Amino acid sequence: MFYGWYIIAALFFATFLSIGARQGFGVFVKTWEEDWAVSTAAISFAAAIGTLVNGFSQPVFGWLTDKFGGRPVLLASFFVTGLATAGVATISSVLGLMVLYGFIISFSSGGIGFQTTGVIVARWFEKKRGVAMAVLVSGGSVGGLVFVPFLSYLLIEVGWQTAWIITGLIALLIGIPLLLIVVKSKPDDIGLTIDGVDPNSEEGLLGSTDAVGPKFVDKWFAALSSRPIWQLSFGYFVCGITTTSIAVHFVRWANSEDITTGTAALAFGLLSGINAVGVLVVGLLSDRFQRKNLLGGVYLVRGLAFLTLIFLPGDIALWAFAVIGGMSWLATVPLTASLTADVYGVRNLGMLFGLANMSHAFGGALAVFLFGWAFTNWGSYNVPFVVGAITLLAAGVVCLSIREKTNSVRFTRINQSNELDSGSVTAGAS
Amino acid sequence: MPNPLETVLHHSEPIDPTLWEWLSLKIDDVLGLHSSAMVFILGAVTVLFPVVVMLLVWRRHRITRHD
Repeated sequence: MFYGWYIIAALFFATFLSIGARQGFGVFVKTWEEDWAVSTAAISFAAAIGTLVNGFSQPVFGWLTDKFGGRPVLLASFFVTGLATAGVATISSVLGLMVLYGFIISFSSGGIGFQTTGVIVARWFEKKRGVAMAVLVSGGSVGGLVFVPFLSYLLIEVGWQTAWIITGLIALLIGIPLLLIVVKSKPDDIGLTIDGVDPNSEEGLLGSTDAVGPKFVDKWFAALSSRPIWQLSFGYFVCGITTTSIAVHFVRWANSEDITTGTAALAFGLLSGINAVGVLVVGLLSDRFQRKNLLGGVYLVRGLAFLTLIFLPGDIALWAFAVIGGMSWLATVPLTASLTADVYGVRNLGMLFGLANMSHAFGGALAVFLFGWAFTNWGSYNVPFVVGAITLLAAGVVCLSIREKTNSVRFTRINQSNELDSGSVTAGAS
Repeated sequence: MPNPLETVLHHSEPIDPTLWEWLSLKIDDVLGLHSSAMVFILGAVTVLFPVVVMLLVWRRHRITRHD
């Protein structure tokens, strides 16, 4: 088996633990409210700081990954995050939570984000980049499904302090050895090639292991003068607007339609389950078809889901949205990361994908505020949902207009090989 | 203003505590296991996966060295 799949397994665990632990924060809120005699709003403030700090940290770690490689960034981030996570057990006030969780953990865990792990995957995989990214992303979904309940039951059995110490120890005593033993920043580090191509094979001799695309850049800011990065970032900004707003307002919208919180939660659980499957299916398809078509399609499908919220009766809309929206929920991540790598290469992928992630976070923060403002003032979510559907339609059209066949190394290399077969191009030249 | 903690299950936002309370009750209803059993099962899943990956890589290194 190609060694890259072991790397995927290790990064899957890193994502599982990182996202699982961050989502698990919500499990402890009520206990902290009672222990520290504080309001939900005070604890929410620490979480809100954490969300913003995490968003800002992503381009920083992306830049560090491009400069030093994914492995050292991942290890350092895991070490600091693990230590700080165990340290949460010593906190006795919201101020401590703000410092340790809001700033330190939220910043350091940015180094375990997709702009670091995605770069490592992109350096190991090219032909199966889509499915490899999808497996990586699904680690987050599984983390939510397994680690959040784990933390919840730990809280019941051993209390919140010990639960945080155990989480930190899992990161330090299991996560770090796993990453140290398994993860290498790039295939060259252990004498392998991308996709495990034999350098002496016909494919290897054709130079496919270090192919260069027409838009590959030496400096990340050079990419900003081309269209695809803006097209992809616009799509990701809209992704942030439409996922974060729904995550925050879905239950409240359901209540406004006389649907109980429990039923809304069940529908959102269904959405989460479908997205775990959807992301893997999209990943598999993306290695066979043009990724921009799938990405555009995902945004249009999500736009359709938003339309159901406007035009269908509340109880039908709830389940229609869960099924249709679920198919598109996380699928944008592997597609955007893979397409960015295909167009600009992996040298500056960390910084470029980090910027896209930041635009996602900012889009989400803006939408949460505006959706709330609209509901407070107009008493309905119809206008925000129409805006969501329009922005998704725009994102779909923008992504469909990406010229993948002329900009992506996947297709330029195919053209090059075809020309090579006819003897018109020198091997390795691009 | 909406509560920032009410962000659920997309990327890395914290789970909504109210949603989780309801979900955990449902899990308890369906599975009917004691919380210590759930800690053991979920903890085993969490710990065994990386251990198995490390063992497989170690085995691969050993085989490669012998070859």
